[in-house]
Amino acid sequence: MIRWFLSGVSHRRLTTRFPRSPEPAPARFRARAVLDPDAANADPGRCVEVCLPGALSLDGRGRLRLDASRCIGCGLCVEECGEESLTIDPGYELAATSRSRLVVGDDVRETEVFPSGLGRAFRRSLHIRHVDTGSDGAIEQEIAALLSPYYDMQRLGLFFTASPRHADVLLVTGPVTVPMEQPLRRTFDAMPEPRVVIAAGTDACSGGIWTEPEVRGGVDRVLPVDVYIPGDPPSPIALLHGLLLAAGRVSEVSPPRRHDGDGPLRPVPSEA
Amino acid sequence: MIALSEHRCEQATIAAELERVGGRLMLLFVTETPSGRELCAIMRTGDSTLLLRAPVTGRGYPAVTPRVPAAHWFEREIHDLWDIVPEGHPRLEPLVRHGPEQAEIALPANGEIGAGHRGAERLSGPGVFVFPYGPVRSGVFEAAQFLVQTGGEDVAYCAQRLFFKRRGAERRICEVPLELAVLVAERVSGTSSLAHALAFSHAVEALSATEVPPRAQAIRRMLAELERMYNHVEVAVRECEDASLSVAQAQFAALKERLHRLAGEIIGHRFLRGAVVPGGVRLDVPRDVANRSRETLGEWERDYRHVVAMLLQTDSFLDRLVSAGPLAEQDAREFACVGPVARASGVDLDTRRDVPYDGYGEFLVSRHTDGDAMARIEVRFQEIDVSLELIREALGSLVDGPIRNELGAFVTDEALGAAESARGETLYWLEAGGAASLRFCKVRAASFVNYGIFNRLFDSQVLTDFSFIEHSLGLSPAGCDA
Repeated sequence: MIRWFLSGVSHRRLTTRFPRSPEPAPARFRARAVLDPDAANADPGRCVEVCLPGALSLDGRGRLRLDASRCIGCGLCVEECGEESLTIDPGYELAATSRSRLVVGDDVRETEVFPSGLGRAFRRSLHIRHVDTGSDGAIEQEIAALLSPYYDMQRLGLFFTASPRHADVLLVTGPVTVPMEQPLRRTFDAMPEPRVVIAAGTDACSGGIWTEPEVRGGVDRVLPVDVYIPGDPPSPIALLHGLLLAAGRVSEVSPPRRHDGDGPLRPVPSEA
Repeated sequence: MIALSEHRCEQATIAAELERVGGRLMLLFVTETPSGRELCAIMRTGDSTLLLRAPVTGRGYPAVTPRVPAAHWFEREIHDLWDIVPEGHPRLEPLVRHGPEQAEIALPANGEIGAGHRGAERLSGPGVFVFPYGPVRSGVFEAAQFLVQTGGEDVAYCAQRLFFKRRGAERRICEVPLELAVLVAERVSGTSSLAHALAFSHAVEALSATEVPPRAQAIRRMLAELERMYNHVEVAVRECEDASLSVAQAQFAALKERLHRLAGEIIGHRFLRGAVVPGGVRLDVPRDVANRSRETLGEWERDYRHVVAMLLQTDSFLDRLVSAGPLAEQDAREFACVGPVARASGVDLDTRRDVPYDGYGEFLVSRHTDGDAMARIEVRFQEIDVSLELIREALGSLVDGPIRNELGAFVTDEALGAAESARGETLYWLEAGGAASLRFCKVRAASFVNYGIFNRLFDSQVLTDFSFIEHSLGLSPAGCDA
């Protein structure tokens, strides 16, 4: 054991300084598509055609509309018909407190910063109960990675708890398959108030690529959702951003703003 | 591409025929053909792969399971999905279909499959109870349920219930345009995205007789091995967590994170999605990225070796894994287990070697004979060594050239695609519905077969071994449930 102790203390610090300072993303990283509705696009119909989860659609005037709660970040639209209007983005300030704030299109253009109205009851410490309702299994590993030395979420006062009775946050992954609907409701009912429900991952936010009858098509078909974290799967930093948003410790940027260039991402508004 | 030798028989004789041929049952499913329903079995016998078809007439046929135990889950699935009765199946309870209310906590009725297994008699008496664990479990886990029968310490019986996560992947793959279907395959088991994309692409490439350019093959091999590595390291993280070795857990978790970051640098996705498409790969690996990857992996290997060497000298870790969850070679063969689970029980199989694809050359197939959790983790550590070599080899064979060939129109009606994921053989059976569309798809992830033997690993085990045994299998409920 002494060998493990020495090995443990001999390592340099690995932990990210997020949210105090920005976290760089790899140059080629693809988190989601970003739409500039004012830029030219000669063939918006093709974009809609290659969008498997239906994140892209056409508005009444035949212009593109992007629902980030459905985007899986595959990048096919950018490749096939992106031109100037669609780009792929490595950003992580993806979380929003309402699905409509994840939509970019005709009437939503300006990026706004909303202070989180959530979380006054538990700013300093947040206990999280996770429920899987049919994810693909990758997001569970990203959530588990929050405990790894790189992210170490406990430094931010975030903890997983085994019992829903202790939980402040219900972190739901997956599009809600039919057999998981009851277990999900029962877990929610077992939680004390105040409580926050987070839909984590594109499939939890909107059903993603999955459709009825096997799945309900998103957590908000079953429970009131307070925070949406799109991503397929969202990276650990995106998850942290969503959790801190639920705790009222960072602001929401909606629709998620475009990140410029390949350099480090800009800081999220820091802890108040 | 897997060459299939096709034979026809009657539904009354398919069980006897499969028993006579012998080998490893890869798939058993029902498909709808213009001339009616057909029962199809795919069996690996020696160096060849046999496809046996029998028309299904009426509502039942004599079950295969009593003669070929590996058919047990396949036949329950057929019963659930097609309402066809495999007559004489020893345990024909629902498998993939869940009732609306999950509250019932009943062990499966008596009746065991395969020879010489305990569990045929259920314990009863004061103090014996059934503990339902899941589908919402403590910690961050995928949804699955385990019914553990115990008197307090010894596990008397354990029954696994999966398919809480069934999302209809097979239906979606046929429904969506062919050019997008690989995106569905990538999301069947999100931690084996690349292997699923490969198996699906191999099937589509066989349907359309499309070649994959050499550069694309090298990129595919490199990514497939990277995926194997982070999945194997994940098993080490979980086992260290179970053994309360927090420093080792943190160090393996850091090693795993570095691999995901490398994946993000190479292909832009931490789980390698969006890389593989039928006909090749979508994204190239430029020279500077290849060089950086080689350097990163060199540093990674040094740190990895240090942690593994320490772990294998830590008694408190070895004590928990040695003799935990033993899987006898006979069981592994009888139930057609695949991947590291089968190899740790002495079964010599590896899709990469047995039905070579994407230019895999010779490599060492790791094996062990002990069949316990320790053997499984040792096989995984050896496979990481082999993967590192294979990645270096692939980086060295990134010849100039195209990375993707256009798909032609389909030239055959059906094809089987396979790939070796970190968990074992992954299969996609596809039937063409036109020149460029799919009519039928059957997915069989490695976890589907390996979960089938879960209840057989608890012979003289105690409750505290549970998580060691579960994590040593390294399975994916998402892949199993599809």
